[in-house]
Amino acid sequence: MFEAFEMMVFFENMIALNNVSITCGEGKIVGIFGSNSAGKSTFMHAISGIILDIKKKEEMRGGERISVFGRVFFNGKDMSAVKPHNRAKAGIVLCPERRRIFPESSVLENLKIGSFLTGGTKTRQNLDYVLDLFPRLKDHLKRQGGFLSGGEQQMLAIGRALMASPKLLLLDEPLLGLSPAYQEIVINGTKAIRDSTGISIIITEQYARPVMPIIDYGYILENGSSVLAGTREELMDNPDVKSAYFGV
Amino acid sequence: MEIVVYGIINSITLSLISLGFTLVYSISRVPNFAHGALYVTSGYLTWIFLNKCTGMPYVLAIILGIGITAVVGALIYQFILVRVRGMEISEIIATYAIGLAILEGLRWGGLRGGTFSLPAFFAGSVDILGVSVDYQRLIIVGAGILTFILLYLFTRYTKMGLAFRGIAQDERAAMMLGINSDVTAVLSLGIGSALAGLAAILLLPLGNIVVETGYNVLIFAIAVCVIGGLGSWGGVIVASFIIGFAQILTESFLSAHYQMVVALLAIILTLLVKPSGIFGKQKELEERV
Repeated sequence: MFEAFEMMVFFENMIALNNVSITCGEGKIVGIFGSNSAGKSTFMHAISGIILDIKKKEEMRGGERISVFGRVFFNGKDMSAVKPHNRAKAGIVLCPERRRIFPESSVLENLKIGSFLTGGTKTRQNLDYVLDLFPRLKDHLKRQGGFLSGGEQQMLAIGRALMASPKLLLLDEPLLGLSPAYQEIVINGTKAIRDSTGISIIITEQYARPVMPIIDYGYILENGSSVLAGTREELMDNPDVKSAYFGV
Repeated sequence: MEIVVYGIINSITLSLISLGFTLVYSISRVPNFAHGALYVTSGYLTWIFLNKCTGMPYVLAIILGIGITAVVGALIYQFILVRVRGMEISEIIATYAIGLAILEGLRWGGLRGGTFSLPAFFAGSVDILGVSVDYQRLIIVGAGILTFILLYLFTRYTKMGLAFRGIAQDERAAMMLGINSDVTAVLSLGIGSALAGLAAILLLPLGNIVVETGYNVLIFAIAVCVIGGLGSWGGVIVASFIIGFAQILTESFLSAHYQMVVALLAIILTLLVKPSGIFGKQKELEERV
């Protein structure tokens, strides 16, 4: 269903992503793990198309030279040159790192902006679904997004992405800075999204431990390269993964 | 009493002038220095339709004048600004150059002397709190308030308006949700130019259409936006009232010549005391990790 083939990204001469290929089947959750600067966010930007916008802006400003290679296939179509808003239209929606919710808009308005691509009854259905998934948002519908706590902001960011009716949801470090309690809510929510709607999900994280139980397949990134891949069981049995990510 | 009534009228006039400028800036981050030129263009176009096309009703001339101005604004973005997007200095130079070209082009094309003026919508005047106010100024106040209400409803309850709000707050996050930032930028320039045109149609019946108005309007719009905080709607209203009343006060106690001085002094004071303006970026809304 989704395939990123030999993705390479350079910032000037520094290689940020080196020949990373990832596939994600229909209704699967794929995890991508790696430390800071492993290339997780660059990969997410590359497959959501945001890197094209960054590249364009840098070119105009005469700033950093960014080169992107590789191909992105989605439902059999080559999306490599498609602009980010059109990728969202096709169903690839990124829930960005550090959430980036709209701080001056209320929670409800954030969700409404998220429903730009849908309309009518579909918007209503999505809204009901998001509020059922994260009931805590219901209590704060009128509050400004910027005044929510980190965990609530993350729920809102995921909810906002869901309002766009994605077919492939990209979650970039959704657990960043969250308390264990909120981590659990977000992880359970992620699993619930896949189980009830069949949306495929790619999730990146620094800490594999909380995410590992819900993934079907996982990749380990190191310095921009994919060094290890396997199903959940294979990764959890691997001694290197155990020592690096589970401290056993 | 005169000061209060005319202060309010002057304030709403100022906010009408600056509304288009702040809308364009808040959505596309382009400081549209061609704002004043679009203002004069709209007034002049309406005058042409009214005087050269005999038999055209005033309303139709106004709609055509504003409509064409909106298209001109959108075209400016589509063909020129899109190439310098993201480079602030180039955006200012490009829009200012376009503004100069339009204004001086109009002067060269015959917009000289004091013979160009639009008729008032309704003649006559009425007494308010013992002050005589003509109908045109009342219409300005009504239209100004109505415009604010309509814009508020547009940005809260329509899909495009909500997309505008998204793009204004975080362009890339909005892009991830499927909003096309080039389309919103073109539309924002179109709507901003239409607002400049609307202000022109409402205000020009009070005086003559002259090229210099374009420069004055630009300075007033910038003054209001700098004091209120660039891109802030609440700031536009508050700053309009501050400058509006300051101008009326200087006019009644000193002389009318000081109007422009007040606006420029206010810019300098704001930049010295609180450079982000009254409603500049709120600190408490910064990201929480």
